Amino acid sequence: MVSTNQPDTARPARRSLLHTNPSVLWFMGLLGLFTLGVSILSEGMGIGVLSTSMVKILGMTLCLCLIAICMDVVWGYCGILSLGHFAFFGLGGYAIGMWLMYARTEIVIRDSLAGATIPPTELEVTDAVTAQIFGVVGSSELPLIWSFAGSLPIQLAMVVLVPGLLALVFGWLAFRSRVTGVYLSILTQAMTLALSLYLFQNDTGLRGNNGLSGLQNIPGALHVPQSVLSVWFFWASAFALGAGYLLFAWVVSGKFGSVIKAIRDNETRVRFLGYNVEGYKLFVFTLTAVVSGIAGALYYPQAGIINPAEIAPIASIYLAVWVAIGGRGRLYGAVIGAATVSLMSSWLTGGGAPNINFGSYRFLWTDWWLVVLGLGFVAVTLFFPKGIGGLFDYLVRKKP
Amino acid sequence: MLRRLRRVPLCACLIFLGLFVAPIAAPTAAHAQSTSDTPLQDVLQTVQAQVASPSRGTVPDVLSALLERDAPGTVEFLRAWQDRGIVERPEDGLFFVAHETGGMVELIDIDTGAVVEQVSTRDVNQIRPNAGVRREINAALVQFELMNPDPARRIAALESATRSPDPEQIPALELALDAETDARIAARMERLLDLLNARFTTDTATRVDAIDGLRGDISTEARRVLNQLLQTRSDFAQTLPDDANIARIRTPGQDMDLHAAYRVLSDAGLFPPRPGRNAIRDALRANVVDGAVGGIPVHQLDTDEARRTAYRALQDAGTVPPLVTQADMEAAVAQYVFFDAYLEPDATVTDAASTALDSTRTRIGAFQALSLSLDALSLASIFFLAAIGLAITFGVMRVINMAHGEFIMMGAYTGYVVQTLIPDYTVSLVVALPLAFGVTFAAGVAMERLVIRHLYTRPLETLLATFGISIALQQLAKNIFGTQARPLTAPDWLAGSLALNDIVSISTLRVGIFFMALAFLLLLLFILNRTRLGLEVRAVTQNPGMAASMGINPDRINMLTFGLGSGIAGVAGVAIGMYAQVTSEMGANYIVQSFMTVVVGGVGSVFGTLAGAGLIGALQKGIEWFNPTNTLAAQTYMVLFIILFIQFRPKGIVALKGRAAGD
Amino acid sequence: MTTLLEVSGVSVTFDGFRAINNLSIAISEPELRAVIGPNGAGKTTFMDIVTGKTRPDSGSVRWGERQVDLLKLSESQIAKAGVGRKFQKPTVFEEQSVRDNLAMALANKRGPLSVLVWHMTTSDSARILELATEIGLQDRLDHRAGDLSHGQKQWLEIGMLLAQDPRLLLVDEPAAGMTPGEREHTTDLLKRAAKTRAVMVIEHDMEFIRRLECRVTVLHEGSVLAEGSLDHVTKNQQVIDVYLGR
Repeated sequence: MVSTNQPDTARPARRSLLHTNPSVLWFMGLLGLFTLGVSILSEGMGIGVLSTSMVKILGMTLCLCLIAICMDVVWGYCGILSLGHFAFFGLGGYAIGMWLMYARTEIVIRDSLAGATIPPTELEVTDAVTAQIFGVVGSSELPLIWSFAGSLPIQLAMVVLVPGLLALVFGWLAFRSRVTGVYLSILTQAMTLALSLYLFQNDTGLRGNNGLSGLQNIPGALHVPQSVLSVWFFWASAFALGAGYLLFAWVVSGKFGSVIKAIRDNETRVRFLGYNVEGYKLFVFTLTAVVSGIAGALYYPQAGIINPAEIAPIASIYLAVWVAIGGRGRLYGAVIGAATVSLMSSWLTGGGAPNINFGSYRFLWTDWWLVVLGLGFVAVTLFFPKGIGGLFDYLVRKKP
Repeated sequence: MLRRLRRVPLCACLIFLGLFVAPIAAPTAAHAQSTSDTPLQDVLQTVQAQVASPSRGTVPDVLSALLERDAPGTVEFLRAWQDRGIVERPEDGLFFVAHETGGMVELIDIDTGAVVEQVSTRDVNQIRPNAGVRREINAALVQFELMNPDPARRIAALESATRSPDPEQIPALELALDAETDARIAARMERLLDLLNARFTTDTATRVDAIDGLRGDISTEARRVLNQLLQTRSDFAQTLPDDANIARIRTPGQDMDLHAAYRVLSDAGLFPPRPGRNAIRDALRANVVDGAVGGIPVHQLDTDEARRTAYRALQDAGTVPPLVTQADMEAAVAQYVFFDAYLEPDATVTDAASTALDSTRTRIGAFQALSLSLDALSLASIFFLAAIGLAITFGVMRVINMAHGEFIMMGAYTGYVVQTLIPDYTVSLVVALPLAFGVTFAAGVAMERLVIRHLYTRPLETLLATFGISIALQQLAKNIFGTQARPLTAPDWLAGSLALNDIVSISTLRVGIFFMALAFLLLLLFILNRTRLGLEVRAVTQNPGMAASMGINPDRINMLTFGLGSGIAGVAGVAIGMYAQVTSEMGANYIVQSFMTVVVGGVGSVFGTLAGAGLIGALQKGIEWFNPTNTLAAQTYMVLFIILFIQFRPKGIVALKGRAAGD
Repeated sequence: MTTLLEVSGVSVTFDGFRAINNLSIAISEPELRAVIGPNGAGKTTFMDIVTGKTRPDSGSVRWGERQVDLLKLSESQIAKAGVGRKFQKPTVFEEQSVRDNLAMALANKRGPLSVLVWHMTTSDSARILELATEIGLQDRLDHRAGDLSHGQKQWLEIGMLLAQDPRLLLVDEPAAGMTPGEREHTTDLLKRAAKTRAVMVIEHDMEFIRRLECRVTVLHEGSVLAEGSLDHVTKNQQVIDVYLGR
């Protein structure tokens, strides 16, 4: 509480980010501890309590937390219920997946041709790689979008550029015509649907519903065992999550945060203050799309496979569910929601949880988890609109 | 059957066969009619030798004798004779219809149809007419059938003749056409005659006439005949041959691949084959000497350039056939002319055929457009049914119901359950429709009371809460009904299809769905415009605050509208379930399209939804028409179009204006 | 005194209802002007047109020395050009502190990137305190705006308007729901503001307008019925008819 009528209220409030947001420090500390703990317990680097697949699941969960933060910024702070952020996530995954698949296939092909009497020409290698990758969709020509698939820097740029450009163009069109609220949600859902339908086609050059596979093998590190690779990717994901958290904490804490929250609460009023609302929305939408793309580029090498079903509109709705359960309008809420719900989903649907016997009826979590999640979600929306994160606020406020 | 032949055609038959047979079979013509009990056997015995061992030359004798006698059972006999079903008893030379039963043969009297005796297959001679004879018999049979007094038999004969066209049918058809009194059958005969003439006649004028007669005929047979006439073969020569009927000349490098043209020449042995990349590589591989080919070390052979240089070295040494350069190919190809020639040598005929085919294509295009419009209309009806409930709830309450698709699914499963209880499909449909409405109405009201009522000020959260309900309902359906699709069978009277011609046809079910959509449109218009409830609903849609202050209870209106919207979804579910399949995910497949329909149409208007459904249905079918193999692409482009459409009309086709629009 | 805003011949129709009918009105800088009129006279619609929320069917709106056509600008561009607006219902950002509300309104650069890297300077902070003192909220700078009383929200909104440093203030019913003491404070605020800029006040309350001591424009059925001092217009027979009903 600031004391009243004191000259210090006039002092420039150049308080640091960490000062204004103690949760950032907490978050960074916990994330660091978690990373350290997982590394020590891991199979590849530590004592081997956590299996490689578990490390991968945890690493993937960190990526999901990152995209949940993006969703929180765009929805919880800026009020745009985007049902399209998983499309950006998927595009990031596809962009890196193209390099992973191409470069690895090229290595395999070169190895197999190394024993030939005459060394292969570049064209022969490309043709063989193409046949290997696109044989499943009955194509023998390398699609145009794969022209740079062999170059890591270009594909890394694509991870950022493709989602960013799509978000920029789509957002510009949508915000310019002042589509808001549920209309905008439906429009983003339409965008996601169009993209997934497009990718489902065999002739669009991304292997149709086969998707890209074998992404867990990293060219240049093919000799490194998966148990070690999984820890590397876990570190990368943790770093990305930390960096993303810091970035967005900075974005939402200052005046920019004030403006986007104001846009969420009363867009028209912000316009009359002289702010170009569309520009802000576009900035937030595009920035979160880019970070989502990066999250996807880290996620899919751990998942090993990406296909268009990952991009389907339902995934983005689940993303909204995570954020809502975790608590909108607070970054750690998004992280809590994404981590809790996605880990519980994989635990319960994976058959890890004990089933309950109700007399003659056997309650199977694999059957009933979605029903429980759906109804639980309705309950959260109705009774705890601030989600799990709201509980923290409640506790913190009660203490003093 | 012959007994019932009309007088006129029989005379015609006789005249025709008389002419046809006369030169060979004149002597046996005059044969007195007897009053025997076995007229057919009698007449056959007069030509016993010709029946027992038929040949092409003798068949006409038998036919003319049979015709003259006109005994009952002649057609059946001819058919059996053709099918090798007639045997001769060697003792007395009598003929019987044979019916084989386990190594034994039942001899059946050809006049009375009674079983005479059972003998071993070795005791009788089976008569085996050869192919030529069978064709003669068949022609006679066609003749008999084409003149049958029963029109259905004549049509059947025409259809079988159309299926297996044969030049020998021409005279029979001409004769039958003269005698035909039924205009519809006559038209079909004329058409078949055109088909046959176009293909088989040697006289150019007749053929061209016949081809002109096929102009605009969209049937597959007519198109097949015309396409056959226009078949071409690719060929080449040093100069264009005078006697060939040239379809077009190909210029290598322009409308013909240069490599392909050269390959034609090299395949014909006129030029050496061109070694391709693989051939060069294989040749190099076979000629590695001391780790080098033609003086170039092997490890350097990883470019096409280096490989060609090495190959030239081998070529100079004479070990491999020479490379063929671009210039070589061009020079070789320039010496020849490449062309497509019609198999049909007569240019008049091919010209007529291509003109006829063009006009047919125009007609086909028109009919395809009609067919496409019907498809689009039917798709639009489905979208309308699926979306109208959503439009009502969205319009009145500004609430997006993500569980709307699951209400559709609920309706479909209601239909399925009713069908398992009531086996009669028509009755079960009659029960299922109102029941589905009731079930989903109740579900909708329950959802409104329990959840949505509390979220009116937070529309985005309604979207999410209803999504929660949607995943719960979907999983619940999976738990109850399993994951595999359940059948919801349409009653027989909805199972067929209405066909206008070979191109335009539509299933009765789609017509049914169309009328159902129409009925709901009218019903809703009636409710909204002519009832108290409708008045209140419209008031709440346009200005909820004002409506409340006028004494309208918005709670009640919201509940009823939500129930109504959900109920319609249930009924739509029954219709969609019959059209597609009942699965727990069926609702999810329609929900996005339904949103699009509502958004494109404009919120809060029945006509808006109608326009939206029409636009989206037409669009989807229209895009499919450009790229018929790829429905996914059609859907992709449709969604892109909708995104762009929203740019220009953010409030949809039918937009509310002014303060009521809420901006 | 130069003409700052000139509205001429503006008409707008909603679904056949003519909300503004060939309206012409002008205001100079500095000037305090009150706009009165019965319900449905088109007062709020007039503000909507000037601020770019509603596009008129015909007519022109000219702004400033260079006669800029406001109809071609978007809402945010008009706001940046120097038109500030206070809505009928107080619309402050309730989830944020009074300080943040004022900081957002300060006349700084409005682009997303410059806002992202913005830091509160000494002068910004001083200006915020000065404004807060003027609207009597200096004690409550770090309170949620949503926790303020109705009258305080009205002031905060006026404060935000002043923070924008506009050349023209459009104020829609500033005194609604205020206690007599608060009203007096509001009158002072507006009169002080009008010393350096143009202020246009829409109000129903005649007492409030009398205290403003300014020119009054009476709107009726979308056009100007009378204009002049309050005493002058209240003697006008037409105005009396409109207010008392014919």
